[in-house]
Amino acid sequence: MPLLSVSHLSLTLNAQQILKNVTFDVDQGEVVGLIGPNGSGKTTLFNVLSGFLKPTHGTVHLREADITHVSPAQRAKLGIGRVFQNFGIFREMTLEENVLVALEALPKEQRMLLGDLREVVRGTLDMVGLSHQGKKKAGSLSGGQMRLLEIARTLKSGKELFLLDEPTAGVSPKMTKQVADLIAELKKEGKTVLIIEHDLPFISRICDRVLVLDVGEVVLNGKPGEIKHDKKLQEIYFGADPTA
Amino acid sequence: MNFILHIICVIAMTLPNILGFNLIFGKGKIFHFGPIGVSLIAAYASFLTLNATGSYLVAIAIGSTFALLASALFAWLSFRLDPDGLGILSIAAHLAIINVVLNWSSFTGGAMGIPKIPRMPYLDSLPTFTITVSTIAICWIIFLFVLEHSAFGRQLQALAEHEWYAKALGINRIRIHMIAFFIGGIGALLTNIFYHQYIHLVYLSDFGYPVFIYFVMIVVAGRPGSVLGVTLSTILIVTLKEAVRFIPLPSHILGPVRLLIFGVILLAAVWVQRDSLFPKKRTI
Ligand SMILES: Nc1ncnc2c1ncn2[C@@H]1O[C@H](COP(=O)(O)OP(=O)(O)O)[C@@H](O)[C@H]1O
Ligand SMILES: [Mg+2]
Repeated sequence: MPLLSVSHLSLTLNAQQILKNVTFDVDQGEVVGLIGPNGSGKTTLFNVLSGFLKPTHGTVHLREADITHVSPAQRAKLGIGRVFQNFGIFREMTLEENVLVALEALPKEQRMLLGDLREVVRGTLDMVGLSHQGKKKAGSLSGGQMRLLEIARTLKSGKELFLLDEPTAGVSPKMTKQVADLIAELKKEGKTVLIIEHDLPFISRICDRVLVLDVGEVVLNGKPGEIKHDKKLQEIYFGADPTA
Repeated sequence: MNFILHIICVIAMTLPNILGFNLIFGKGKIFHFGPIGVSLIAAYASFLTLNATGSYLVAIAIGSTFALLASALFAWLSFRLDPDGLGILSIAAHLAIINVVLNWSSFTGGAMGIPKIPRMPYLDSLPTFTITVSTIAICWIIFLFVLEHSAFGRQLQALAEHEWYAKALGINRIRIHMIAFFIGGIGALLTNIFYHQYIHLVYLSDFGYPVFIYFVMIVVAGRPGSVLGVTLSTILIVTLKEAVRFIPLPSHILGPVRLLIFGVILLAAVWVQRDSLFPKKRTI
């Protein structure tokens, strides 16, 4: 059974159809890339998956349970972790508080299993090399550091399904490698990842499968090697081939 | 000496309501502009009950019930409306409550208020009154300080900084904001139960819109959200307000002078805090 199952999802906002009949599954432990031009509806799809937008039609299932009408907070408790395009970090809080607040929001049974939360906070900051800055406001971090912190926080709070929205955007080239390594770590730990990215080589390297979204529709769904040379992808990214 | 005790009493009686409001508006960044409406309901419920039954125990029970109901009403508004709408509607709700009390004079005493309120037996002397309200104020400060640095405080702050980011972590906005509003309601009750005994009167103009501006000024001047900062600004501004009474000026000049002083303080405080007062809008 798939971990996430999206079926016939449509969304209309302000008389504009932004998602059209989107259907796909993601298996446990799979890393799936979501690519498509700017404005094709990738972030909007994430907003529907994390519960911030209600679809006009269609359903979302998590482990066969229908979560279409479940609130964002409840979905987080069910194991969906979102990493936001513009850094979901609280800039007025310290790094420690940023991790702590995520752990404290877990359901009680899950929080108990973690033991001493302060220990977990230290471990999380250690993991991304930020332990010496624990008392600093998160607003002082670079884009790359914020991203690392956000992914590590999501991992340590035991999320199963990761929704990563352009994790390397706003990250310096030097830090991109570190972010990529951390995502590889998620894969190693058997997490399920849905990742929006523009960098095609990066996507082919890391993903088991790629979905291509164009004007709100899934136009391609396959292994990176298979879709790489597909004419549709060429058209979307480089315009129609004049020689074709 | 009595004058100093008087100032201490006023500070101690103001603190519970101010710090409760600071939790909602300062820390939670919720545009709840009706805390004085909650006060009004808490005060009238308590002292009308006291008049009818003669029992402070019953009065406090009924008063707290109504304070919590009024808080739940404003919380409900905050869940239904966007921030600007809440700001406007909570002002309207406050004014509506004033008008009901004013016009239902057979029951509420109208503009005359509720006179001749007796104090609780052991609060008759100024020193015991001072000790009692100061003890309560200190306990309340400690309680809110601990709360500010608790999981609840962090969740409230996270929601204030970015509602979506907070919800995506699993934070339940309804639960957290409801608790904040209820604490505000208890603060309003604590302030009003003692203040009206102190002056032996419930007087409608103590619940006017200027009182709300005064509250906002204290919270902004003390750094919104900070329990210690707002405690300090309460002490300073209440002292200033009470001291101005003793400037030898005729009262028709003194009133405007007082307003002017507070206007300048508010402007200065907003200017100094302009970057941190409200969260910057960020997209996802
Ligand atoms: N809340 C909204 N209301 C109306 N239109 C929206 C809203 N959010 C996004 N859109 C529109 O939906 C389309 C897809 O946006 P988005 O999902 O952010 O694209 P992507 O992440 O693929 O770049 C865009 O045309 C955008 O203008
Ligand atoms: Mg996007």
